[in-house]
Amino acid sequence: MTPLKPVAPGARVALGVAFFVLFFAAWAAATFGGYVSATFLADPATMLREGWSLLAVHGFIKDILVTIWRVLGGFVLAAALGVPLGIAMGAYKPIEAFFEPFVSFARYLPASAFIPLLILWAGTGEAQKLLVIFVGSFFQVVLMVAVTVGNTRRDLVEAAYTLGVTDRGIVRRVLLPSSAPEMAEILRLVLGWAWTYVIVAELIGSSSGIGHMIMDSQALLNTGQIIFGIIVIGFIGLASDFLFKALNRRLFPWSLA
Amino acid sequence: MAVADNDFICILGPSGCGKSTLLRIVAGLDVPSTGRVLLDGQPVARPGPDRGMVFQSYTLFPWLTVRQNVLFGSRATPAVADALIARVGLRGFENHFPKMLSGGMQQRTALARALANDPKILLLDEPFGALDNQTRALMQELLLGIWEADRKTVLFVTHDIDEAIFMASRVAVMSARPGHIKHELKIDLPHPRHYTMKTGADFSRYKAELTEQIRVESIRAAQMEH
Repeated sequence: MTPLKPVAPGARVALGVAFFVLFFAAWAAATFGGYVSATFLADPATMLREGWSLLAVHGFIKDILVTIWRVLGGFVLAAALGVPLGIAMGAYKPIEAFFEPFVSFARYLPASAFIPLLILWAGTGEAQKLLVIFVGSFFQVVLMVAVTVGNTRRDLVEAAYTLGVTDRGIVRRVLLPSSAPEMAEILRLVLGWAWTYVIVAELIGSSSGIGHMIMDSQALLNTGQIIFGIIVIGFIGLASDFLFKALNRRLFPWSLA
Repeated sequence: MAVADNDFICILGPSGCGKSTLLRIVAGLDVPSTGRVLLDGQPVARPGPDRGMVFQSYTLFPWLTVRQNVLFGSRATPAVADALIARVGLRGFENHFPKMLSGGMQQRTALARALANDPKILLLDEPFGALDNQTRALMQELLLGIWEADRKTVLFVTHDIDEAIFMASRVAVMSARPGHIKHELKIDLPHPRHYTMKTGADFSRYKAELTEQIRVESIRAAQMEH
């Protein structure tokens, strides 16, 4: 194989699908072949059957919607506060000097470690779930947006100055549009992380959501339902990622190579 | 050094002599350690729309189309912008994004963008430095044509001797470290200038003189690097 040589589109899809097929085949072989006990790992057919019963009988759709709502709620909250602060830090160095050391410290605090504290403060309701996602996403958004805005090409800023743009105009007319595609990319990344935080939050002290269903299934040793839940999360993640990418392509046609 | 209205001055010097810095100080992008720049008697403190600049690097705003780029300046108007786009030969490309343009087209757009803002002085920092020879020659003729029609005051930085003689009404040779103007040469070639002048006897005479001046400076600059 030649390094970095592109693969034909058809072959690309075929290779991608092939791994899924291989993965399911290995799973089916391990379970149907009796190499792994059904107590620890359900076979694909059982998983689908359990999944269907979850959707048809146990109202799993409601759990899915609740989880999606939480992810979006916490994510929007973190983005709405984090993006403006990140822009301010990226554009104005004294603001960056003020916040950056603390935010750098805070970003390494694991969101899951805050769950006991947040339950104490906010109970086990929706506010607590949103706060877990917020704590996990906010500081990351702030730092990455600040770096992106701060990395704006200096020659574009200088060109704008020589065209008569004021200091405030530089932020609005150069820093923001030039870093917009990367900011959208950051939000896409953080939305993916938010899915991890929400499930962790739902595993502990929750009465609804995909994570709650997974905990319930563990108590019943129903590995089929657990795996179905995980796969649902994967598909939703894939779909939201796809939508985000499509939106970015539409919004920023100029930034594509 | 004094620059009169409607003059076309080329600042010629070896790389590293500070000719770009001089231009950036005039633009207000850099602050001089000593000395000052006066524009119509007023000291220059910061960048402003009265001093338009074209950079060596491609500085079109990639999120704006050609037309939006030309209209970016605080004093640009749609009528002027459209006329300039036609003038630099980019009619039909108004709605293209910069990444869809060649280097020469990008610099023509940058020139139109600077002119559309109607600056008193046009500052050009090796604007054709990244272009291939053929494109560069065409760009020189384009810029000269615009200057011959409008007579804007131009400060043009280059290390290309032919380019300096062909374009300038006056060439200022800069010395290396400390960078100062060590020699000035008036170029008395008639306007409008035609590219065939580049092989004429007068041109060769100017070239011989400037080559000698630059050579001394280049050697000095090279020795100082050791």
